[in-house]
Amino acid sequence: MRAVIEAAREAPLVPVAILGGLMLVAILADLIAPHDPTLPVKGANVFDPPFWMEGGRTTTLLGTDFQGRDVLSRLIHGARVSLIVGLMGTLVAGGIGTAMGILSGYVGRWVDQVIMRVTDAWLALPALVFAIFLATMVGPSMWNIVFVLGAVYWTRYARVIRGEVLTLREREFVKLAEIAGASKLRVIKRHILPNVMNTATVLASLTIGVVIIAEASLSFLGVGVPPPQPAWGLMLAEARPTLMAGQWWLTVFPGLCILLIVLATQLFGDWLRVRLDPQLRNL
Amino acid sequence: MWQFIVRRLLYSIVTLLILSATIFVIVRLTGDPVSLLAEAGARPEDLERIHRQWGLDRSWPVQYVSFLQNIVTGELGKSFNYRLPVSELYFQRLPNSLTLGLVATLISILVGVPAGIISAVKVNTWWDTIAKGVALLGLSIPGFWLGLVLILVFSVWLRWLPTSGAGDWRHVVMPSLALGWYFAASMLRLTRSSMLEVLGSEYIKLARLKGLPDVVVIAMHAFKNALIPVFTLAGVNMVVMVNAAVIIEVIFAWPGIGRLLYEGIFNRDFPLVQGVVVMAGFMIVGINLIVDILYAFIDPRIRLTR
Amino acid sequence: MRRSRCVAAALMLIVLASTAASLSSPAGAAARGKLVLAWHAGLASRWLDPQEHDGTATPDNFFTAIHDGLIKNQGTALFDHPALAEKFTIAPDAKSATFTLRKGIKFHNGEPVTPQDVKFSYENYRGAKADVFKKKTERVEIVDDRTIRFHFKEPFLDFAILFGTANVAAPGWVVPEKYYKQVGADGFKQKPVGAGPYRLVRHEPGVKLEMEAFDGYYRPVNVKQLVMTSVPEGATRVAMLERGEADIIYSVPGELVSRVQKLPGVTLAPVLSGSWFLEFPGFQDPKSPFRDKRVREAVSLAIDRRAMNQAESAGFGKVSGNWINNDVQYALEWPEIERNVERAKQLLREAGYPNGFDVDWVTPLPAWYSRGERLIGQLREVGIRARMQTMERGVFFQRLQGGIKEWPGVQIIFHGIRIAGSWSFWYEAHVKCGGFNSRDRLCIKELDAKFEQYERSINPAERKKLAEEIQRAILENHYLVPVFRHAFVNAIGPRVAAQKWQDVFPTITTGYAYPWEDIKLKEQ
Repeated sequence: MRAVIEAAREAPLVPVAILGGLMLVAILADLIAPHDPTLPVKGANVFDPPFWMEGGRTTTLLGTDFQGRDVLSRLIHGARVSLIVGLMGTLVAGGIGTAMGILSGYVGRWVDQVIMRVTDAWLALPALVFAIFLATMVGPSMWNIVFVLGAVYWTRYARVIRGEVLTLREREFVKLAEIAGASKLRVIKRHILPNVMNTATVLASLTIGVVIIAEASLSFLGVGVPPPQPAWGLMLAEARPTLMAGQWWLTVFPGLCILLIVLATQLFGDWLRVRLDPQLRNL
Repeated sequence: MWQFIVRRLLYSIVTLLILSATIFVIVRLTGDPVSLLAEAGARPEDLERIHRQWGLDRSWPVQYVSFLQNIVTGELGKSFNYRLPVSELYFQRLPNSLTLGLVATLISILVGVPAGIISAVKVNTWWDTIAKGVALLGLSIPGFWLGLVLILVFSVWLRWLPTSGAGDWRHVVMPSLALGWYFAASMLRLTRSSMLEVLGSEYIKLARLKGLPDVVVIAMHAFKNALIPVFTLAGVNMVVMVNAAVIIEVIFAWPGIGRLLYEGIFNRDFPLVQGVVVMAGFMIVGINLIVDILYAFIDPRIRLTR
Repeated sequence: MRRSRCVAAALMLIVLASTAASLSSPAGAAARGKLVLAWHAGLASRWLDPQEHDGTATPDNFFTAIHDGLIKNQGTALFDHPALAEKFTIAPDAKSATFTLRKGIKFHNGEPVTPQDVKFSYENYRGAKADVFKKKTERVEIVDDRTIRFHFKEPFLDFAILFGTANVAAPGWVVPEKYYKQVGADGFKQKPVGAGPYRLVRHEPGVKLEMEAFDGYYRPVNVKQLVMTSVPEGATRVAMLERGEADIIYSVPGELVSRVQKLPGVTLAPVLSGSWFLEFPGFQDPKSPFRDKRVREAVSLAIDRRAMNQAESAGFGKVSGNWINNDVQYALEWPEIERNVERAKQLLREAGYPNGFDVDWVTPLPAWYSRGERLIGQLREVGIRARMQTMERGVFFQRLQGGIKEWPGVQIIFHGIRIAGSWSFWYEAHVKCGGFNSRDRLCIKELDAKFEQYERSINPAERKKLAEEIQRAILENHYLVPVFRHAFVNAIGPRVAAQKWQDVFPTITTGYAYPWEDIKLKEQ
């Protein structure tokens, strides 16, 4: 009981609150969004400003976009798309990368050679260029973008995790388990995986922001999440000419949302890193 | 030692082979470059002719072998759209990209490293918070947005700087700022954590115990040791900035390699994309090789592991 | 016998003489000032060589500056503006064409433009539609030092149109034989030498073309330096215009049109461009709801064309009734189609869809997604529910050329194209069975049979009748549903002397600002 209270007191309130809030918004998007995010609001014009400005109205609190759609509703639904892309993209990258890292580090020999050479080669491909090609190949859809970003960013995990596993392999508890006749799979499951999870989690907290920005960049290049789906990165990319035209609310609000989620994951990651393993500060 | 270097060299060659095969395959999986010419009703006869002319009627293995030959000769193949050897195009653009990459790297170091040191030395003070805030902004603002804001403020409103293109120093300011900003954030993070680690090591504690003043400890000992990973990262970042600053070069119409790559990608200019990616790969693999060998010189244990 | 007389009667001797040529003096020397064009895409060097014209509407922006053709599209002339040729004659039987070159015309390197260069350019031409010219040409005869005659194996009615429309084909654009052979086809693309109003002085491949007025041009060239620079990002082009870094910018982003309109001294140039239309791939499949003509008509009636034009082209486009631009030969004028939601719903009821139906995908030409979204919104009002499919541009064209297998289920393609010259190029590429972009998606047998008849016919009156019959059948049966003709919105900066935008964009067959030599700068 005391431990729980202790943990709760230690848990970083700000990032947890932000992330929790965003997830809640994402889950409840259909209930709380005042309008359909993909259709123009009846009676509204295109480029209506936020309600506190002249010409703004309270039905569309944060204004409307170039199609007359409600910006607030798009941001709310965008939380869902962006969280899915950010979290799932990171999960895919982390999943592949961790598996490859463990395989490479624990099995060793030619498996290690093959995986590490592929990792090196793919790390030497400029990430965005690689992502553009994959996105073009598989075609645009939200889940394809998740897959693409996962396929591009797994290499970072593989390198780090492999290093971890190489030291773990020499540790006594692993040696003992091996002597006791545990199968490789069992050793990986019982001893290796739990011990690399910390590293993987910390890496993940840093990757989410990278993935979300990468999604925005892909949208800028026309191969990101397809419209009319509202992803924050897409909203930012689509509305970029309006920056000069004066409709600042179309880029500033999604920009702030991205800032918020990157802030939260970074703070969370910092906290995790210090708490879980002081050695990981170098990541 | 020699054995180590030879082994590393072999690894690098294998890595580059995998890289070249990967890019060779993925550019071809994205489709036929000739179908992009179809807008205004070209005809199958015209396209067949272009296929032949561009060597796309040959089988993949044959094309791959000729790609490797082109790498070996240093010509990197002939661009479909420019009808020039890719290496020639690449080196035409390289000075511009180097300028941009160098200035951006400089900015990222000048902003990132001091801020990182301050925030590590004054850890958990408001200095630290400010530095972290800057890093956060760098990491969460997409380059295209920052670029357009810069153009709006400095070119359109204040009228201080030209919007785009290359020319004198004034043309370099905005693109290198927009590019360096993002990397400054990663430099800051790495400097901070690297410094914290070194400052926490026994050896620094010892120096402090000996009564050396803080400034000396930080300047002479901590700084020096913390900077090895930082400059390795700066090197790799710079290669990326030189070869793949796609978005910034598009926004600022900067005549560099990134834009060459961008147009190559969307026009399916296979030789161009392959060539540029292989050049970037060469540089990154080269830097890693040098760093590995240097480390091995410094710390002999490394030769045995890996 | 009767037939040939008919041809003779219909094909009057066409003689076109230039009036301007003899009066004007070479006036490149009087040119002054500098004009900068901010181009909206990349700058592929292959566009500088008319010999390898890729058949798209892009390259003529460049070779109208550097090169010149015997005849060309310019101003309101669709294909027959006399350029390097001061006059040309098509034989009454359409089996030969004779061109007379202007006196004293030169290439940028000082060499005279000779009939031999014309012959070389024609015979060495490898670009779009080269095979048509090859197939139909018997020989090229140099009559004297200013006259050249093309002999055809059979009557070649489309010759002049194909020959003279710069954004279709370019065998009539003359390159210097000696120089071309000397530097080779690839070398020519780096340092092209032509007979056009501007000679290239500096070429940064993919980045910038710097040109200077050519003293030896046969018409006055007003601006001394012409610079074309590639600026892919729209907002950056607008910023360049605002700062005076560019004098003409192409393709103003829709959101910035109103800002540009308010800039002092800036003129917006909304040039009418491509036509947008809907295609129902595989509509003849018994399972497709679009097999029913009433359903296709309902789709057409559901579209709010005026709203589309207003929103997508700031009202600068045109709501036209035909899917073929009216600036091509034999294009049929067709009345505007009014929106009628009630009638559309009724037609759907009659066709057995009282509650509407689902469309798997609406795919707009990349990256014009916002108009796809608008279309989907409008269709929804009559009960047709659709989702939008986006794809990268290259993938879109590849799938278009892949035929029906790439478009399974119930689909709508929202395409926009611009082809100059003749209506038949539109039909051939986008309707005909086996056509380059249409492949096997439409295959309307009776129309293809008529088109074959059209292709074979050498009687202009018959051809016109067939052309109109085919177009009418497409429109009455709603095989393709025209939406609107959109505007390619450009802008002209304050330094350029122009009363109205048409002064800078006078050529109706293009969205580009040629003829370049006519553009003037204001007196300082």
